[in-house]
Amino acid sequence: MPEPALRADPPIVEIRDLHKSFGPIEVLQGIDLTIGRGEVVCLLGASGSGKSTMLRCINHLEQPDRGFVLVDGMLVGGNVRDGRVHEAAPTEVAERRSRIGMVFQQFNLFPHMTVLDNVTLAPVRVKRVGRAAAQAAARTLLERVGLSAKADAYPGQLSGGQQQRVAIARALAMEPALMLFDEPTSALDPELVGEVLDVMRDLAASGMTMIVVTHEMGFARNVATRAVFLDDGLIVEQGPPEQVIGAPTHDRTRAFLAKVL
Amino acid sequence: MTTGAAMRVDAEQLAGMADTRLVRRRRIGATLLNVVVALLVVAAVVELVVNPNFDWPIVARYLFDTNVLEGVLVTLELTVYAMVIGLVLGVVLAVLRQSRSGLARGAAWSYIWFFRGTPVLVQVLFWGFAASLFPRVGIGLPGGLFLVSWDTNAVVPIFAAAVLGLGLNEAAYMAEIVRGGLLSVPSGQTEAARTLGLGHAETLRFVILPQAMRVIIPPIGNQVISMLKMTSVVLVIGVADLLGSVTEIYARNYRQIALLLVASIWYLALTTLLTYGQSRLERRFGRGISRLEDDRA
Repeated sequence: MPEPALRADPPIVEIRDLHKSFGPIEVLQGIDLTIGRGEVVCLLGASGSGKSTMLRCINHLEQPDRGFVLVDGMLVGGNVRDGRVHEAAPTEVAERRSRIGMVFQQFNLFPHMTVLDNVTLAPVRVKRVGRAAAQAAARTLLERVGLSAKADAYPGQLSGGQQQRVAIARALAMEPALMLFDEPTSALDPELVGEVLDVMRDLAASGMTMIVVTHEMGFARNVATRAVFLDDGLIVEQGPPEQVIGAPTHDRTRAFLAKVL
Repeated sequence: MTTGAAMRVDAEQLAGMADTRLVRRRRIGATLLNVVVALLVVAAVVELVVNPNFDWPIVARYLFDTNVLEGVLVTLELTVYAMVIGLVLGVVLAVLRQSRSGLARGAAWSYIWFFRGTPVLVQVLFWGFAASLFPRVGIGLPGGLFLVSWDTNAVVPIFAAAVLGLGLNEAAYMAEIVRGGLLSVPSGQTEAARTLGLGHAETLRFVILPQAMRVIIPPIGNQVISMLKMTSVVLVIGVADLLGSVTEIYARNYRQIALLLVASIWYLALTTLLTYGQSRLERRFGRGISRLEDDRA
Protein backbone atom coordinates (compact mmCIF):
# COMPACT_ATOMS: atom_id res chain seq x y z
CA MET A 1 0.00 0.00 0.00
CA PRO A 2 1.52 3.37 -0.98
CA GLU A 3 2.11 5.83 1.86
CA PRO A 4 -0.39 8.69 1.70
CA ALA A 5 1.28 11.93 0.63
CA LEU A 6 2.52 13.87 3.65
CA ARG A 7 1.79 17.53 3.93
CA ALA A 8 4.99 19.43 3.17
CA ASP A 9 4.38 21.96 5.92
CA PRO A 10 2.17 20.49 8.64
CA PRO A 11 0.82 22.73 11.42
CA ILE A 12 3.15 22.88 14.42
CA VAL A 13 0.51 21.30 16.66
CA GLU A 14 -2.51 19.28 15.64
CA ILE A 15 -4.71 17.82 18.39
CA ARG A 16 -7.57 15.48 17.48
CA ASP A 17 -10.21 14.01 19.77
CA LEU A 18 -7.84 14.03 22.75
CA HIS A 19 -9.11 12.13 25.81
CA LYS A 20 -7.31 11.64 29.10
CA SER A 21 -8.54 10.26 32.42
CA PHE A 22 -6.92 10.06 35.82
CA GLY A 23 -8.70 7.24 37.59
CA PRO A 24 -12.45 7.88 37.36
CA ILE A 25 -12.01 11.54 36.38
CA GLU A 26 -12.02 12.31 32.67
CA VAL A 27 -9.85 15.43 32.55
CA LEU A 28 -9.87 15.81 28.76
CA GLN A 29 -13.09 14.81 27.02
CA GLY A 30 -12.26 15.26 23.34
CA ILE A 31 -10.06 18.21 22.44
CA ASP A 32 -9.60 19.33 18.81
CA LEU A 33 -7.14 22.14 18.21
CA THR A 34 -4.76 23.13 15.42
CA ILE A 35 -2.01 25.66 15.99
CA GLY A 36 0.03 27.26 13.24
CA ARG A 37 3.65 28.39 13.29
CA GLY A 38 4.23 31.73 14.98
CA GLU A 39 0.95 31.65 16.88
CA VAL A 40 0.79 32.60 20.55
CA VAL A 41 -2.10 30.66 22.06
CA CYS A 42 -3.27 31.30 25.61
CA LEU A 43 -5.20 28.49 27.29
CA LEU A 44 -7.68 29.88 29.79
CA GLY A 45 -10.00 28.16 32.19
CA ALA A 46 -10.65 27.36 35.83
CA SER A 47 -8.32 25.00 37.66
CA GLY A 48 -9.30 21.43 36.87
CA SER A 49 -10.55 22.38 33.41
CA GLY A 50 -7.75 20.34 31.77
CA LYS A 51 -5.43 23.12 30.51
CA SER A 52 -2.24 21.75 32.07
CA THR A 53 -3.06 18.16 31.15
CA MET A 54 -3.55 19.19 27.54
CA LEU A 55 -0.22 21.01 27.57
CA ARG A 56 1.50 17.96 29.10
CA CYS A 57 0.01 15.72 26.41
CA ILE A 58 1.68 17.85 23.73
CA ASN A 59 5.19 16.84 24.84
CA HIS A 60 4.12 13.37 25.93
CA LEU A 61 4.58 13.91 29.68
CA GLU A 62 1.08 12.43 29.74
CA GLN A 63 -0.07 9.77 27.30
CA PRO A 64 -3.49 10.20 25.67
CA ASP A 65 -6.12 7.55 26.37
CA ARG A 66 -7.73 8.25 22.99
CA GLY A 67 -7.05 10.57 20.09
CA PHE A 68 -3.61 11.97 19.30
CA VAL A 69 -1.33 14.97 19.26
CA LEU A 70 0.94 15.68 16.30
CA VAL A 71 3.84 18.07 16.76
CA ASP A 72 5.38 19.18 13.47
CA GLY A 73 3.56 16.24 11.88
CA MET A 74 5.00 13.68 14.31
CA LEU A 75 3.66 11.71 17.23
CA VAL A 76 6.05 12.51 20.08
CA GLY A 77 5.64 9.14 21.78
CA GLY A 78 4.81 6.80 18.92
CA ASN A 79 5.43 5.56 15.40
CA VAL A 80 2.80 4.37 12.92
CA ARG A 81 3.53 0.92 11.54
CA ASP A 82 1.24 -1.73 10.06
CA GLY A 83 -1.85 0.27 10.89
CA ARG A 84 -1.06 0.56 14.59
CA VAL A 85 0.66 3.18 16.73
CA HIS A 86 3.73 1.60 18.33
CA GLU A 87 5.46 3.08 21.36
CA ALA A 88 8.55 4.97 20.20
CA ALA A 89 12.02 4.13 21.53
CA PRO A 90 13.06 6.30 24.50
CA THR A 91 15.82 7.87 22.39
CA GLU A 92 13.27 8.85 19.72
CA VAL A 93 10.96 10.35 22.33
CA ALA A 94 13.85 12.27 23.86
CA GLU A 95 14.94 13.58 20.45
CA ARG A 96 11.42 14.78 19.58
CA ARG A 97 10.88 16.30 23.02
CA SER A 98 14.09 18.26 22.76
CA ARG A 99 12.41 20.30 19.97
CA ILE A 100 9.64 21.33 22.40
CA GLY A 101 10.63 23.70 25.18
CA MET A 102 8.68 23.64 28.42
CA VAL A 103 8.52 26.08 31.31
CA PHE A 104 6.95 24.91 34.57
CA GLN A 105 5.00 26.69 37.26
CA GLN A 106 7.61 25.62 39.84
CA PHE A 107 10.59 26.45 37.55
CA ASN A 108 12.18 23.02 38.17
CA LEU A 109 15.70 24.36 37.77
CA PHE A 110 18.39 21.89 38.79
CA PRO A 111 19.37 23.21 42.25
CA HIS A 112 22.80 21.53 42.33
CA MET A 113 24.02 23.28 39.18
CA THR A 114 24.92 26.89 38.47
CA VAL A 115 22.70 28.91 36.15
CA LEU A 116 25.19 28.39 33.32
CA ASP A 117 25.28 24.61 33.88
CA ASN A 118 21.47 24.51 33.94
CA VAL A 119 21.35 26.17 30.53
CA THR A 120 24.19 24.16 28.94
CA LEU A 121 23.32 20.69 30.30
CA ALA A 122 20.98 19.64 27.50
CA PRO A 123 22.93 21.19 24.58
CA VAL A 124 26.11 19.45 25.81
CA ARG A 125 24.60 16.08 26.77
CA VAL A 126 21.79 15.74 24.23
CA LYS A 127 22.87 17.77 21.20
CA ARG A 128 26.60 17.07 21.77
CA VAL A 129 27.48 20.74 21.32
CA GLY A 130 31.02 21.54 22.49
CA ARG A 131 31.18 22.97 25.99
CA ALA A 132 32.71 26.29 24.93
CA ALA A 133 30.16 26.83 22.16
CA ALA A 134 27.30 25.85 24.48
CA GLN A 135 28.50 28.30 27.12
CA ALA A 136 28.80 31.13 24.59
CA ALA A 137 25.26 30.43 23.39
CA ALA A 138 24.03 30.21 26.99
CA ARG A 139 25.54 33.59 27.85
CA THR A 140 23.77 35.14 24.86
CA LEU A 141 20.48 33.64 26.06
CA LEU A 142 21.05 34.82 29.63
CA GLU A 143 21.66 38.31 28.29
CA ARG A 144 18.39 38.05 26.39
CA VAL A 145 16.50 37.32 29.62
CA GLY A 146 18.49 40.01 31.45
CA LEU A 147 20.54 37.70 33.68
CA SER A 148 24.06 37.70 32.26
CA ALA A 149 25.38 38.71 35.69
CA LYS A 150 23.92 35.58 37.31
CA ALA A 151 25.64 32.92 35.18
CA ASP A 152 27.62 31.53 38.11
CA ALA A 153 24.89 31.78 40.75
CA TYR A 154 22.95 28.77 41.99
CA PRO A 155 19.15 28.77 41.54
CA GLY A 156 18.65 29.03 45.32
CA GLN A 157 20.35 32.43 45.28
CA LEU A 158 17.88 33.88 42.76
CA SER A 159 14.40 35.35 43.17
CA GLY A 160 11.46 33.45 41.72
CA GLY A 161 11.25 35.80 38.76
CA GLN A 162 14.95 35.35 38.01
CA GLN A 163 14.64 31.57 38.32
CA GLN A 164 11.77 31.52 35.85
CA ARG A 165 13.76 33.62 33.38
CA VAL A 166 16.63 31.13 33.70
CA ALA A 167 14.14 28.32 33.06
CA ILE A 168 13.06 30.08 29.86
CA ALA A 169 16.69 30.47 28.77
CA ARG A 170 17.31 26.78 29.57
CA ALA A 171 14.39 25.75 27.35
CA LEU A 172 15.49 28.10 24.54
CA ALA A 173 19.00 26.61 24.60
CA MET A 174 17.68 23.56 22.75
CA GLU A 175 16.44 25.86 19.96
CA PRO A 176 12.88 24.57 20.20
CA ALA A 177 10.33 25.01 17.44
CA LEU A 178 7.61 25.36 20.05
CA MET A 179 7.48 26.63 23.64
CA LEU A 180 4.99 25.43 26.25
CA PHE A 181 4.37 27.50 29.38
CA ASP A 182 2.48 25.89 32.27
CA GLU A 183 1.28 28.77 34.48
CA PRO A 184 4.74 30.39 34.39
CA THR A 185 3.85 33.24 36.76
CA SER A 186 1.47 31.53 39.19
CA ALA A 187 4.17 30.75 41.77
CA LEU A 188 5.62 34.26 41.73
CA ASP A 189 5.16 37.19 44.10
CA PRO A 190 3.04 39.84 42.34
CA GLU A 191 5.94 42.29 41.90
CA LEU A 192 7.99 39.64 40.04
CA VAL A 193 5.33 38.67 37.48
CA GLY A 194 6.10 41.60 35.16
CA GLU A 195 9.74 40.70 34.48
CA VAL A 196 8.78 37.17 33.36
CA LEU A 197 5.92 38.40 31.18
CA ASP A 198 8.29 40.94 29.57
CA VAL A 199 10.64 38.12 28.55
CA MET A 200 7.70 36.14 27.17
CA ARG A 201 6.46 39.17 25.26
CA ASP A 202 9.90 39.61 23.64
CA LEU A 203 9.92 35.93 22.77
CA ALA A 204 6.50 36.21 21.12
CA ALA A 205 7.67 39.28 19.18
CA SER A 206 10.64 37.27 17.88
CA GLY A 207 8.18 34.92 16.18
CA MET A 208 8.34 31.93 18.59
CA THR A 209 5.30 29.65 18.59
CA MET A 210 4.00 29.61 22.16
CA ILE A 211 1.24 27.80 24.02
CA VAL A 212 0.67 29.44 27.39
CA VAL A 213 -1.52 28.23 30.23
CA THR A 214 -2.09 31.38 32.24
CA HIS A 215 -4.38 33.44 34.43
CA GLU A 216 -2.73 36.69 33.31
CA MET A 217 -5.60 38.20 31.32
CA GLY A 218 -3.59 41.30 30.43
CA PHE A 219 -0.90 39.16 28.82
CA ALA A 220 -3.48 37.06 26.99
CA ARG A 221 -5.23 40.16 25.69
CA ASN A 222 -2.08 41.99 24.57
CA VAL A 223 0.23 39.24 23.38
CA ALA A 224 -1.82 36.21 22.36
CA THR A 225 -2.92 35.74 18.78
CA ARG A 226 -5.65 33.40 19.98
CA ALA A 227 -7.36 32.69 23.28
CA VAL A 228 -8.77 29.24 23.94
CA PHE A 229 -11.18 28.73 26.83
CA LEU A 230 -11.49 25.27 28.34
CA ASP A 231 -14.16 24.02 30.68
CA ASP A 232 -14.61 20.48 31.99
CA GLY A 233 -12.11 19.02 29.53
CA LEU A 234 -13.63 20.63 26.43
CA ILE A 235 -12.88 23.74 24.40
CA VAL A 236 -15.99 25.87 24.80
CA GLU A 237 -14.83 29.02 23.07
CA GLN A 238 -11.87 30.27 21.08
CA GLY A 239 -10.88 33.18 18.91
CA PRO A 240 -9.03 36.48 19.00
CA PRO A 241 -8.35 37.40 22.64
CA GLU A 242 -10.23 40.69 22.48
CA GLN A 243 -13.31 38.71 21.46
CA VAL A 244 -12.96 35.76 23.91
CA ILE A 245 -11.93 37.96 26.84
CA GLY A 246 -13.68 41.17 25.82
CA ALA A 247 -16.97 39.85 24.47
CA PRO A 248 -17.40 36.19 25.42
CA THR A 249 -20.40 34.43 23.95
CA HIS A 250 -20.49 31.40 26.25
CA ASP A 251 -21.98 31.49 29.76
CA ARG A 252 -19.11 29.48 31.23
CA THR A 253 -16.55 31.88 29.79
CA ARG A 254 -18.44 34.85 31.17
CA ALA A 255 -18.73 33.29 34.61
CA PHE A 256 -14.99 32.50 34.66
CA LEU A 257 -13.94 35.95 33.46
CA ALA A 258 -16.21 37.63 35.99
CA LYS A 259 -14.16 35.90 38.70
CA VAL A 260 -10.65 36.61 37.40
CA LEU A 261 -10.98 40.07 35.88
CA MET B 1 5.47 37.83 95.81
CA THR B 2 2.68 35.67 94.47
CA THR B 3 0.36 38.33 93.10
CA GLY B 4 0.83 40.15 89.85
CA ALA B 5 0.70 43.50 91.60
CA ALA B 6 3.60 42.65 93.86
CA MET B 7 5.82 41.92 90.81
CA ARG B 8 5.18 45.30 89.21
CA VAL B 9 8.39 47.17 88.54
CA ASP B 10 9.04 50.87 88.54
CA ALA B 11 10.12 51.79 85.00
CA GLU B 12 12.12 54.80 86.25
CA GLN B 13 14.07 52.68 88.70
CA LEU B 14 14.78 50.13 85.97
CA ALA B 15 15.84 52.84 83.54
CA GLY B 16 18.27 54.12 86.18
CA MET B 17 20.04 50.77 86.56
CA ALA B 18 23.36 50.42 84.81
CA ASP B 19 22.87 46.81 83.76
CA THR B 20 19.46 45.27 83.00
CA ARG B 21 20.71 42.00 81.57
CA LEU B 22 19.37 38.88 83.30
CA VAL B 23 21.45 37.44 86.12
CA ARG B 24 21.31 33.71 85.51
CA ARG B 25 19.40 31.60 88.04
CA ARG B 26 21.47 28.98 89.77
CA ARG B 27 20.67 25.63 88.23
CA ILE B 28 21.10 23.22 91.12
CA GLY B 29 20.45 20.11 89.00
CA ALA B 30 23.07 21.03 86.41
CA THR B 31 25.66 21.84 89.07
CA LEU B 32 25.05 18.53 90.79
CA LEU B 33 25.36 16.67 87.48
CA ASN B 34 28.65 18.48 86.75
CA VAL B 35 30.07 17.30 90.08
CA VAL B 36 28.98 13.69 89.55
CA VAL B 37 30.35 13.52 86.01
CA ALA B 38 33.62 15.16 87.02
CA LEU B 39 34.07 12.63 89.84
CA LEU B 40 33.40 9.71 87.47
CA VAL B 41 35.87 11.05 84.90
CA VAL B 42 38.58 11.50 87.52
CA ALA B 43 37.92 8.00 88.87
CA ALA B 44 38.18 6.54 85.38
CA VAL B 45 41.43 8.35 84.57
CA VAL B 46 42.98 7.34 87.92
CA GLU B 47 41.94 3.76 87.34
CA LEU B 48 43.43 3.81 83.83
CA VAL B 49 46.74 5.08 85.20
CA VAL B 50 46.92 3.14 88.44
CA ASN B 51 45.64 -0.29 87.38
CA PRO B 52 48.72 -2.17 86.14
CA ASN B 53 46.53 -4.67 84.25
CA PHE B 54 46.01 -2.11 81.50
CA ASP B 55 49.61 -2.74 80.64
CA TRP B 56 50.27 0.64 78.98
CA PRO B 57 53.91 -0.11 78.20
CA ILE B 58 52.78 -3.16 76.21
CA VAL B 59 50.12 -1.04 74.45
CA ALA B 60 52.81 1.46 73.49
CA ARG B 61 55.14 -1.28 72.29
CA TYR B 62 52.54 -2.93 70.00
CA LEU B 63 50.69 0.18 68.79
CA PHE B 64 53.03 0.49 65.81
CA ASP B 65 54.09 -3.14 65.61
CA THR B 66 54.55 -4.29 61.99
CA ASN B 67 51.94 -7.04 62.32
CA VAL B 68 49.44 -4.59 63.78
CA LEU B 69 50.10 -2.06 61.01
CA GLU B 70 49.61 -4.78 58.42
CA GLY B 71 46.33 -5.64 60.15
CA VAL B 72 45.26 -1.99 59.95
CA LEU B 73 45.99 -2.03 56.23
CA VAL B 74 43.95 -5.21 55.74
CA THR B 75 41.05 -3.69 57.68
CA LEU B 76 41.17 -0.57 55.50
CA GLU B 77 41.35 -2.65 52.32
CA LEU B 78 38.40 -4.78 53.42
CA THR B 79 36.41 -1.64 54.22
CA VAL B 80 37.15 0.03 50.90
CA TYR B 81 36.50 -3.03 48.71
CA ALA B 82 33.38 -4.06 50.59
CA MET B 83 31.98 -0.51 50.44
CA VAL B 84 32.71 -0.21 46.71
CA ILE B 85 30.87 -3.48 46.05
CA GLY B 86 28.09 -2.39 48.38
CA LEU B 87 27.71 1.03 46.79
CA VAL B 88 27.79 -0.06 43.15
CA LEU B 89 25.52 -3.05 43.69
CA GLY B 90 23.34 -0.95 46.00
CA VAL B 91 22.74 1.70 43.30
CA VAL B 92 21.93 -1.06 40.79
CA LEU B 93 19.50 -2.70 43.22
CA ALA B 94 17.87 0.65 44.05
CA VAL B 95 17.35 1.42 40.36
CA LEU B 96 16.03 -2.10 39.73
CA ARG B 97 13.53 -1.68 42.54
CA GLN B 98 12.00 1.18 40.52
CA SER B 99 12.19 -0.75 37.26
CA ARG B 100 9.19 -1.25 34.99
CA SER B 101 10.02 -4.96 34.86
CA GLY B 102 8.19 -6.76 37.62
CA LEU B 103 10.71 -9.59 37.58
CA ALA B 104 13.61 -7.17 38.10
CA ARG B 105 11.76 -5.47 40.96
CA GLY B 106 11.03 -8.86 42.52
CA ALA B 107 14.64 -10.02 42.16
CA ALA B 108 15.97 -6.85 43.78
CA TRP B 109 13.42 -7.12 46.58
CA SER B 110 14.36 -10.77 47.20
CA TYR B 111 18.06 -9.97 47.26
CA ILE B 112 17.52 -7.31 49.90
CA TRP B 113 15.18 -9.60 51.83
CA PHE B 114 17.76 -12.40 51.92
CA PHE B 115 20.92 -10.42 52.63
CA ARG B 116 19.32 -8.17 55.25
CA GLY B 117 17.54 -11.08 56.84
CA THR B 118 20.56 -13.22 57.71
CA PRO B 119 23.46 -12.24 60.00
CA VAL B 120 26.56 -10.92 58.28
CA LEU B 121 28.64 -13.32 60.39
CA VAL B 122 26.76 -16.25 58.84
CA GLN B 123 27.19 -14.81 55.36
CA VAL B 124 30.94 -14.37 55.83
CA LEU B 125 31.20 -17.95 57.11
CA PHE B 126 29.25 -19.12 54.06
CA TRP B 127 31.74 -17.46 51.73
CA GLY B 128 34.60 -18.85 53.76
CA PHE B 129 33.22 -22.34 53.22
CA ALA B 130 32.12 -21.62 49.63
CA ALA B 131 34.43 -24.35 48.40
CA SER B 132 32.34 -27.02 50.07
CA LEU B 133 29.15 -25.65 48.48
CA PHE B 134 30.67 -25.11 45.01
CA PRO B 135 33.95 -27.08 44.81
CA ARG B 136 34.55 -25.70 41.34
CA VAL B 137 33.45 -22.44 39.73
CA GLY B 138 33.21 -21.83 36.01
CA ILE B 139 31.00 -21.24 33.02
CA GLY B 140 28.40 -23.85 32.12
CA LEU B 141 25.06 -25.22 33.29
CA PRO B 142 23.73 -25.61 36.85
CA GLY B 143 24.52 -28.99 38.41
CA GLY B 144 28.21 -29.04 37.65
CA LEU B 145 28.20 -29.28 33.85
CA PHE B 146 31.11 -26.93 33.10
CA LEU B 147 32.65 -25.77 29.86
CA VAL B 148 35.55 -24.26 31.75
CA SER B 149 36.06 -24.37 35.50
CA TRP B 150 38.55 -23.64 38.24
CA ASP B 151 39.15 -24.81 41.77
CA THR B 152 37.07 -22.55 44.03
CA ASN B 153 39.74 -22.21 46.69
CA ALA B 154 42.15 -20.95 44.03
CA VAL B 155 39.76 -18.41 42.48
CA VAL B 156 38.19 -17.17 45.70
CA PRO B 157 41.01 -16.83 48.23
CA ILE B 158 39.99 -16.24 51.81
CA PHE B 159 40.46 -12.46 51.51
CA ALA B 160 38.10 -12.33 48.51
CA ALA B 161 35.60 -14.44 50.44
CA ALA B 162 35.71 -11.88 53.23
CA VAL B 163 35.22 -8.97 50.80
CA LEU B 164 32.32 -10.75 49.10
CA GLY B 165 30.65 -11.62 52.37
CA LEU B 166 30.85 -8.05 53.64
CA GLY B 167 30.16 -6.34 50.30
CA LEU B 168 27.13 -8.36 49.25
CA ASN B 169 25.60 -7.85 52.69
CA GLU B 170 26.33 -4.13 52.53
CA ALA B 171 24.66 -3.82 49.11
CA ALA B 172 21.31 -4.77 50.63
CA TYR B 173 21.47 -1.91 53.14
CA MET B 174 22.93 0.49 50.59
CA ALA B 175 20.09 -0.26 48.15
CA GLU B 176 17.53 0.99 50.65
CA ILE B 177 19.58 4.10 51.43
CA VAL B 178 20.01 4.93 47.75
CA ARG B 179 16.34 4.25 47.04
CA GLY B 180 15.35 6.69 49.77
CA GLY B 181 17.67 9.27 48.20
CA LEU B 182 16.21 8.77 44.73
CA LEU B 183 12.68 9.15 46.09
CA SER B 184 13.64 12.38 47.84
CA VAL B 185 14.24 14.21 44.54
CA PRO B 186 11.00 15.94 43.43
CA SER B 187 9.37 14.51 40.29
CA GLY B 188 9.50 17.95 38.65
CA GLN B 189 13.25 17.44 38.27
CA THR B 190 12.71 14.32 36.16
CA GLU B 191 10.06 16.09 34.10
CA ALA B 192 12.31 19.09 33.46
CA ALA B 193 15.12 16.76 32.36
CA ARG B 194 12.77 14.79 30.11
CA THR B 195 11.40 17.91 28.41
CA LEU B 196 14.98 18.95 27.64
CA GLY B 197 15.43 15.66 25.79
CA LEU B 198 17.60 13.89 28.38
CA GLY B 199 17.26 10.10 28.35
CA HIS B 200 16.66 7.84 31.33
CA ALA B 201 20.34 7.22 32.10
CA GLU B 202 21.36 10.86 31.58
CA THR B 203 18.55 12.09 33.82
CA LEU B 204 19.67 9.69 36.53
CA ARG B 205 23.33 10.56 36.20
CA PHE B 206 23.26 14.34 35.84
CA VAL B 207 20.03 15.36 37.58
CA ILE B 208 18.71 12.77 40.03
CA LEU B 209 21.77 11.06 41.54
CA PRO B 210 23.71 14.28 42.31
CA GLN B 211 20.70 15.57 44.24
CA ALA B 212 20.04 12.23 45.87
CA MET B 213 23.68 12.24 47.08
CA ARG B 214 22.88 15.01 49.54
CA VAL B 215 20.38 12.73 51.24
CA ILE B 216 22.46 9.57 50.76
CA ILE B 217 25.85 10.76 52.07
CA PRO B 218 25.09 11.05 55.81
CA PRO B 219 23.76 7.47 56.10
CA ILE B 220 26.57 6.19 53.83
CA GLY B 221 29.05 7.81 56.19
CA ASN B 222 27.39 5.86 58.98
CA GLN B 223 27.65 2.67 56.93
CA VAL B 224 31.39 3.22 56.24
CA ILE B 225 32.07 3.70 59.92
CA SER B 226 29.96 0.72 60.82
CA MET B 227 31.67 -1.34 58.07
CA LEU B 228 35.14 -0.45 59.38
CA LYS B 229 34.22 -2.13 62.64
CA MET B 230 32.12 -4.88 61.07
CA THR B 231 35.17 -6.09 59.10
CA SER B 232 36.37 -7.59 62.39
CA VAL B 233 33.93 -10.51 61.87
CA VAL B 234 36.29 -11.86 59.16
CA LEU B 235 38.33 -13.12 62.11
CA VAL B 236 36.11 -16.21 61.99
CA ILE B 237 37.41 -17.26 58.57
CA GLY B 238 41.00 -16.52 59.50
CA VAL B 239 41.74 -13.22 57.76
CA ALA B 240 44.51 -11.31 59.55
CA ASP B 241 42.79 -7.92 59.82
CA LEU B 242 43.41 -5.51 62.69
CA LEU B 243 41.54 -7.64 65.22
CA GLY B 244 42.99 -10.83 63.72
CA SER B 245 46.56 -9.60 64.08
CA VAL B 246 46.17 -8.55 67.71
CA THR B 247 44.53 -11.88 68.62
CA GLU B 248 47.48 -13.64 67.03
CA ILE B 249 49.84 -11.59 69.16
CA TYR B 250 47.99 -12.16 72.43
CA ALA B 251 47.71 -15.85 71.66
CA ARG B 252 51.51 -15.83 72.05
CA ASN B 253 52.05 -13.35 74.92
CA TYR B 254 48.68 -13.56 76.81
CA ARG B 255 48.42 -9.74 77.07
CA GLN B 256 44.79 -9.75 75.84
CA ILE B 257 43.66 -6.46 77.41
CA ALA B 258 46.64 -4.45 76.20
CA LEU B 259 46.32 -5.74 72.67
CA LEU B 260 42.57 -5.23 72.54
CA LEU B 261 43.32 -1.65 73.62
CA VAL B 262 45.76 -1.39 70.70
CA ALA B 263 43.00 -2.49 68.33
CA SER B 264 40.48 -0.11 69.93
CA ILE B 265 42.84 2.84 69.62
CA TRP B 266 43.28 2.12 65.92
CA TYR B 267 39.54 1.64 65.30
CA LEU B 268 38.85 4.92 67.11
CA ALA B 269 41.53 6.79 65.18
CA LEU B 270 40.21 5.52 61.85
CA THR B 271 36.55 6.28 62.61
CA THR B 272 37.58 9.78 63.72
CA LEU B 273 39.25 10.32 60.36
CA LEU B 274 36.21 8.99 58.53
CA THR B 275 33.89 11.27 60.48
CA TYR B 276 35.97 14.23 59.34
CA GLY B 277 35.90 13.02 55.73
CA GLN B 278 32.14 12.62 55.92
CA SER B 279 31.57 16.22 56.96
CA ARG B 280 33.78 17.41 54.08
CA LEU B 281 31.76 15.33 51.58
CA GLU B 282 28.46 16.61 52.95
CA ARG B 283 29.57 20.16 52.33
CA ARG B 284 30.61 19.25 48.77
CA PHE B 285 27.23 17.75 47.85
CA GLY B 286 25.25 20.47 49.63
CA ARG B 287 26.13 22.87 46.78
CA GLY B 288 23.29 25.17 45.84
CA ILE B 289 21.21 23.90 48.74
CA SER B 290 22.87 24.97 51.98
CA ARG B 291 22.23 28.59 52.89
CA LEU B 292 25.58 28.96 54.65
CA GLU B 293 27.40 27.91 51.51
CA ASP B 294 25.42 30.42 49.46
CA ASP B 295 26.38 33.28 51.71
CA ARG B 296 30.05 32.45 51.39
CA ALA B 297 29.91 32.15 47.60
